Amino acid sequence: MTQVSIDIAAGARAPSPYVPRMARILAAEQMTETERFFRLQAEGEAMRYEPGQFVEVMVFGIGEAPISICSSPTQGEAFELSVRSVGVVTNRLKEFKAGDRVGIRGPFGNHFDYAAMKGQDVLFVAGGLGLAPTRSLIRYVMDKRKDFGKVTILFGAREPKWLLFRSEVEAWQKRGDVDVHVTVDRGDASWKGNVGVITRLFSKVAIDAPRTWAVIVGPPVMFKFAVLEALAEGIPEHRIICSLERHMKCGVGKCGHCQIRGIYVCREGPVFTYEQVKRLREGI
Amino acid sequence: MLPQVLKKGDLGAWIEALGKTWKVAAPVLKETSVSDRTDAKFGWEWVVDPAEVRLDYTVTVLGPKKFLWPSRQTVLAYALAGEPNPQAVIEHEPQVLLGVHPCDITAIATLDAAFGKDVPDPHYLARRKDTAIVGLDCAAPCDESCFCLDMGSLHPESGYDIMLTPHRDRYFVEVKTDLGQQLLAGARLQPATKQDMQGRQAFTEEQRGNFHYQLPCEVKYLPEILDASYDSLVWEAIARRCFSCGSCNTVCPTCYCWDVADQIAVDLTKGCRVRRYDSCQLDPFAEVAGGENFRKDRSSRLRHRMFRKGKYILEQTGRAGCVGCGRCERACIAGISIKETFVQIAGSR
Amino acid sequence: MAKPVLMFDSLSCCEGCGLQVLNCETDLLPILEKADIGRFREASDGDVDHYNVAFVEGSIVTPHDIERIQEIRAKTDLLVALGACATHGGVNFLKNFQDPDDVAKYVYGDKRAWFPHVAARPLKAEVRVDAEIPGCPINPREFLEAATCLLTGKPFKLPNYPVCVPCKLADNVCLWHKGAACLGVVTRAGCDPYLCPSAGHKCIGCRGLVDKPNTQAAKDVMAEFGLTVDDILREFRLFQGIYKEVAQEA
Repeated sequence: MTQVSIDIAAGARAPSPYVPRMARILAAEQMTETERFFRLQAEGEAMRYEPGQFVEVMVFGIGEAPISICSSPTQGEAFELSVRSVGVVTNRLKEFKAGDRVGIRGPFGNHFDYAAMKGQDVLFVAGGLGLAPTRSLIRYVMDKRKDFGKVTILFGAREPKWLLFRSEVEAWQKRGDVDVHVTVDRGDASWKGNVGVITRLFSKVAIDAPRTWAVIVGPPVMFKFAVLEALAEGIPEHRIICSLERHMKCGVGKCGHCQIRGIYVCREGPVFTYEQVKRLREGI
Repeated sequence: MLPQVLKKGDLGAWIEALGKTWKVAAPVLKETSVSDRTDAKFGWEWVVDPAEVRLDYTVTVLGPKKFLWPSRQTVLAYALAGEPNPQAVIEHEPQVLLGVHPCDITAIATLDAAFGKDVPDPHYLARRKDTAIVGLDCAAPCDESCFCLDMGSLHPESGYDIMLTPHRDRYFVEVKTDLGQQLLAGARLQPATKQDMQGRQAFTEEQRGNFHYQLPCEVKYLPEILDASYDSLVWEAIARRCFSCGSCNTVCPTCYCWDVADQIAVDLTKGCRVRRYDSCQLDPFAEVAGGENFRKDRSSRLRHRMFRKGKYILEQTGRAGCVGCGRCERACIAGISIKETFVQIAGSR
Repeated sequence: MAKPVLMFDSLSCCEGCGLQVLNCETDLLPILEKADIGRFREASDGDVDHYNVAFVEGSIVTPHDIERIQEIRAKTDLLVALGACATHGGVNFLKNFQDPDDVAKYVYGDKRAWFPHVAARPLKAEVRVDAEIPGCPINPREFLEAATCLLTGKPFKLPNYPVCVPCKLADNVCLWHKGAACLGVVTRAGCDPYLCPSAGHKCIGCRGLVDKPNTQAAKDVMAEFGLTVDDILREFRLFQGIYKEVAQEA
């Protein structure tokens, strides 16, 4: 085991990684009953990030919550978040609107390896809020469409009312250069589309396994079965990519809350290959 | 530099002199009535009266970690009225930890690595930089829970400024750093005599006779042994007795996980973020906002702690995750022993 | 904006929790700037028609207590149970383990018919309770934190770990090692810095059980310390009789 060498004096002078910078909300919109969309701009120098990274959003006096960035750096200097109201901080964020300010730390974590996917096919499988981190890469791929081969998007939610980015997904469907399929577990009177779990969509698409990357993000049970489908299609484990959800509290690999076995998800993740996740065992 | 000694009778005067420049913390006697189940009657405190300092101490509930990594620490302060203007709160003042046992010296090196690696944490490191460490070598294990020899923490090569080796009425003084030299400015040191050199040698022999290996394998094999035990029923069996009370983590000298909470001042104009010790043995530790808990069984939490101590920290920092101080075992009313656990899984492989 | 109206009232209890609120002394002043006091039984006369937050201590022991808590609930937006009696029934709950008539006879003798009473219960047995501050008495710091949360709309959360954590942080030698059956190992923390073990007294569980206590471990380990389940239940019942695990085994 190699000992990491530590410079205590230099570290003592380092800036605290726990101080947020201010960001202004440029736009805010309620997407579903529980999910709220924000477009934010960091004050001062723009925040540089990569698809798949996350930020800690701080509401002063209340606390911080780790949120995946759902936009792509190709979209410009602002960044976008899709926040589900499930905790103390995210419930408070429900009241935030354009013009309000929050604290931001980050971006943290690794990112989707789009360079490795260049020239190849990409299959996106997103369930529910899993579309948020996935969208960061989808938008990147859309903006650099020529760099990639065939692009397929499978998106599912419990019910039509829980579908995120609905008009945007419809716009993708109309593009013609992306194959998009949407399904819901339970339809309603107005729903004309597919009904059933997301794995049923695999039969609708043609996958050229040797040249395909599968990006699968969603709740644990959806992830498990979507991975089985991808493996059955012949996509190798190291080309199945996921993004894990944990409660990252510090973002810098110290506080321990996001740890899976020896891995700090906030630093070495949140993006992993299925090959890695499988070995972690506690991953999903 | 020539070898030197400090008479035990001159210790008080030295501490007095140190106190003029540094805040001095040292072990003192805290409890006079304790049963035979523990010997933890000493505790680390700021020295008020040098006469209270007990360098003949054995074990303490908490180690000197608390002076470097306080259990509650404000890391951020901001305004709630007007511009938030968040500012880091980094507090430190020159301090000396006097009489640190080798196990705790090793543990502090682990904390240094954990807080210093990757993204440095100046809240810890600023305190660490301002801290001088006077080590105190152990002639014998503190009690039966100790297994520092196995964990490689009995003979730290660095991480201290001075090492005191007790022998009869004096300490043999080893100066390790320039800071250590400065600390000794007010000490009535005497050049070591030939007898002192022999005494130093006698201590080493005595130490060698008193400490024995207790694990059936070398510590470097622990990660591999732990890996092989991942699916063992042993975790379930031990966890039946575990209260998930968090005592083991709270007293551990290498534990550094924390939780944060934002607090609002009573007048509602200011806020701050406080971090405090957290414990991976507590039920909500690996819970996410939606309520999913990734280590909801006691057994998986217990296994996580043993893996952190025997494998993860070692792999991440190259330093000991467990220093064999025995504090967790002493603190556990169910008597769950990390040493016994390591012995058990090594044997059941 | 009008200031929120707070109210403090007491049902069957010693009113020690109300006293703890007053013990906050100067720390109460900033709260008084932000809020009005509609009623405070322990401190002043008077009453108003509507409260935003009612802090009620004491348990329900008499039919009058039931009427009173329903009356308060109807007049308040939020109801906070203050202290062990209001959150868990407190020591009053002990009477539920005895014959009701024996209890009445012991307390009121031949005048017992004048004092109707019901089985002791916490506030939540009768009305909706929005938040609880446990303890006998309450920790004034926790009251201040809850009050700040209420004034800012931040959810108030109780610690979900046992007393062992702050007790170890206080550098205390474990009382089990001194031969005491301390209940801190399964009792919800939040009393620090007023920890009984720091003063040499074992924890008697006044703040109720932590979520998901390991009752199996409790029995096994206590037996090793020479204690029987009965010994422990007696300890537990003082404040924790309301818990199914404790009550059923009794």
